[in-house]
Amino acid sequence: MSAIIEIRNITKEFKVLNRREGLKGSLKDLFSRDYKTVRAVDNISMTIEQGEIVGYLGPNGAGKSTTIKMMTGVLEPTSGEILVGGNVPYQNRTRNAQEIGVVFGQRSQLWWALPLVESFKILKDIYQIPDADYEDMLSLYRSLVDIEPLLHKPVRQMSLGQRTLSDILAAFLHNPKIVFLDEPTIGLDVSMKSKIRTLIHALNQKKNTTVILTTHDMGDVDALCHRIVIIDKGKMLYDNDIEHLKSFFGSYRTLRLRIDGDLKAQAEIIGKEIPECSVSADEEWISVLVDEEKAKVIDVLAKLQKTHRIKDMQLMEISTEEVIKKIYEEGVK
Amino acid sequence: MKKRGFHFYFRIYCKIMAQDIKSKMSYRADFIISTIGMIFTNIAGFISFWILFRNFPSIDGWTYYEMLFLYGFSLISLTPVQCLFDNNWSLRQNVYSGDFIKYCFRPINTFFYYQSEIFDIKGLGQLAFGIGTLIYAWCNIGLGFSALMLLKLLVFLITASLIMIALQNTAAATCFWIQNSFYVLDLANRFRDYAKYPITIFSPVFRFFFTFVFPIAFIAYYPSLVLLRPDDVPVLSWISPLFGIAFFWLSYKIWMHGASQYSGTGS
Amino acid sequence: MKLKKYLTLTRAGIIEALQFRLSFLVMVVGNLLYLIVVYFLWKAIYASAGTDVVNGMTFSDTLIYLVLATALFNFMEMYIVWEIGRNVQSGKIVLDLLKPIEYRKYLFWAYSGTFVTQFFLTFLPTFIAVAVVTNGAIPMGINLLYFVISVIMAVSINYSIDFIVGTICLYTESIWGINIMKQVIVLLLSGATIPIAFFPDTLKTIVSYLPFQSIYNAPLSILLDGEPKPQTVFTTLGIQLAWCIGMMLLSKLFWKTSLRQITVNGG
Repeated sequence: MSAIIEIRNITKEFKVLNRREGLKGSLKDLFSRDYKTVRAVDNISMTIEQGEIVGYLGPNGAGKSTTIKMMTGVLEPTSGEILVGGNVPYQNRTRNAQEIGVVFGQRSQLWWALPLVESFKILKDIYQIPDADYEDMLSLYRSLVDIEPLLHKPVRQMSLGQRTLSDILAAFLHNPKIVFLDEPTIGLDVSMKSKIRTLIHALNQKKNTTVILTTHDMGDVDALCHRIVIIDKGKMLYDNDIEHLKSFFGSYRTLRLRIDGDLKAQAEIIGKEIPECSVSADEEWISVLVDEEKAKVIDVLAKLQKTHRIKDMQLMEISTEEVIKKIYEEGVK
Repeated sequence: MKKRGFHFYFRIYCKIMAQDIKSKMSYRADFIISTIGMIFTNIAGFISFWILFRNFPSIDGWTYYEMLFLYGFSLISLTPVQCLFDNNWSLRQNVYSGDFIKYCFRPINTFFYYQSEIFDIKGLGQLAFGIGTLIYAWCNIGLGFSALMLLKLLVFLITASLIMIALQNTAAATCFWIQNSFYVLDLANRFRDYAKYPITIFSPVFRFFFTFVFPIAFIAYYPSLVLLRPDDVPVLSWISPLFGIAFFWLSYKIWMHGASQYSGTGS
Repeated sequence: MKLKKYLTLTRAGIIEALQFRLSFLVMVVGNLLYLIVVYFLWKAIYASAGTDVVNGMTFSDTLIYLVLATALFNFMEMYIVWEIGRNVQSGKIVLDLLKPIEYRKYLFWAYSGTFVTQFFLTFLPTFIAVAVVTNGAIPMGINLLYFVISVIMAVSINYSIDFIVGTICLYTESIWGINIMKQVIVLLLSGATIPIAFFPDTLKTIVSYLPFQSIYNAPLSILLDGEPKPQTVFTTLGIQLAWCIGMMLLSKLFWKTSLRQITVNGG
């Protein structure tokens, strides 16, 4: 194993305009402007090995996209060093681009009006892919997904799922060393999500491609990543594997309850009854996160049984979703 | 990695262009309506021209046919910018929505990649119109014909095209700095229409301005002098090809500089 | 309060427009440059003509007419066709139709903020500039009041035409083609590019039966008439009013039937 991405102490600052409010404010803005400097990425370092799948997580506006733009050579860091496959990305954007693939969940990079196969042919020329490699890749694709119906369909007529799938295939086409996936499963249905996760996993295994994945869907993380990096407000919060992260929260258990009535409202009531635990609800379950150093699960259950009719219950280890949520809210201890 | 030279770019361009035309043909109605729109524009331009010269037999010593020559000349030199660089018009939306970022991830020149995406076939109609006008004017002036003249014509048409492209590139590139840059493009576009009038009508200050700062005088006036007034060609006409190249290069640099500054809005 | 709901849209439009500081500068400078070009061009044209008055118009008259026609164009052009066309293609129109304001009114009021900013930033400076340049050739009397009334009706007629053309976008994807045809026809036949007084007689007769001359020619000829005879003024305003109402009804009817057609076909 060797390092494919090395990042040392990078920082990126932007100047943004402070806008004033209302009609009067807009008129004032016309004549005098007030800028402030925002640090989108603040002194981040990491090393990523060839073949890793890294989950790059953080709340909205944490600085994820900015970091990725720096790794792809679109942005130049204000300070610090980046090496991607031995290149400094912003100094040699084209050479770097040859070695990477990029997918943005919401915006397709394929030619809108062209059938997928024509887009592939143009990409083949742009990336100067030898015929043999191109054919190999296509047959690999055929073995992984059913691409025949997609190949001759113009991208604009595809469903969101098909488009994302096509974009991922296009990003891997030139067998890049690194692929950046920015929220690849956003807006997709459950079966399409799992299809795409399987595809990414298989391509990573077969080609030993490094994958950097940003997502808000912990299902993606659970299915694909061993290692996660979390940033918030530009600062690095965590960089290690998921199991290690969970061990921070070893004393936590999730108690899942099923109760009659509106779960969201019930969860709020329960939250007030047991202020030492955090309570949330989804469509089926109310989840109570219990820190066993503070309160025993048995005691919580006993307390709740007096006031609610519990129809069903499950006891689980803390989920990735909850770990991440706790880190966003409280940081790493 | 093989070197990416002219041949490489040329091949990719042809491929994308062929595909683009193919897909445009599948929207037949749009193609027909746009072509009719283009013909309308040219006919209307012609009618205004004709009405003007019904009332005024000459402008500043330039006869009807000479002005028509300038008119045809500017139409032809407009073709490349219309056909090959039309995607500049969408640059603003692409930058504003953040979609522009996708052009930054490919291992080829961003400017090339962006412009290659659209080939506007309507421009060919304009070309036909321009050639027709030019030949009609040419014959009526009685310029005569020689291989050297044709060569001159070609060189100076290319010059004029380069200036047009440069103007449009620069105007479009302003969107990297100004948010609502539509007005800039629209303005540049409107001024192109005035390129077909002789620069001598202006006072010296504005003659300078329209020659070196906002170089519309190079679009039709200076190049046409070489053919229309061969006895009295100013130095500026002869060196206008150099200006064309310089302005084009400058506009390319500005465009690329804007693109490299671009950081994309949001995620 | 019914009016309040509309004025909120106006206010939002003004705030949005003020965000773009540089584009203002570009617009103001651009208009000045444009004024200069038109000034020199027509000065040269009149100098070549040898007479001071052509078709009843002096150089000052023509200059005022053309410059203010352009200022009016900038002021009235709301890109409604593009707006409707894009909304139809992206499907956003469904959201707009759900708003508790009639779509025709909604679009108009959403753009009214641009009216206000454009009036102060382009029309007024241009008006003052041209008044100064022509040394008080614009008669300042009761004609100003008639001019304002006439412009208000012109805005309405222009909006109705735009809305009718925009409605066509429900049927076709070709926004560019549709819009350019409209623009060319309106600009030429309304006398915005060349005053209608210069048109040959047959064309003049044809144009007088069309709504377009009510947009530019009507307000501008009222403005230039220093001693208006009540009869001529009221005839012009009367014709405008008739077109105003007629086009409004037509645009409403066309929109209504088109919308029904589209919803029935599930477009």
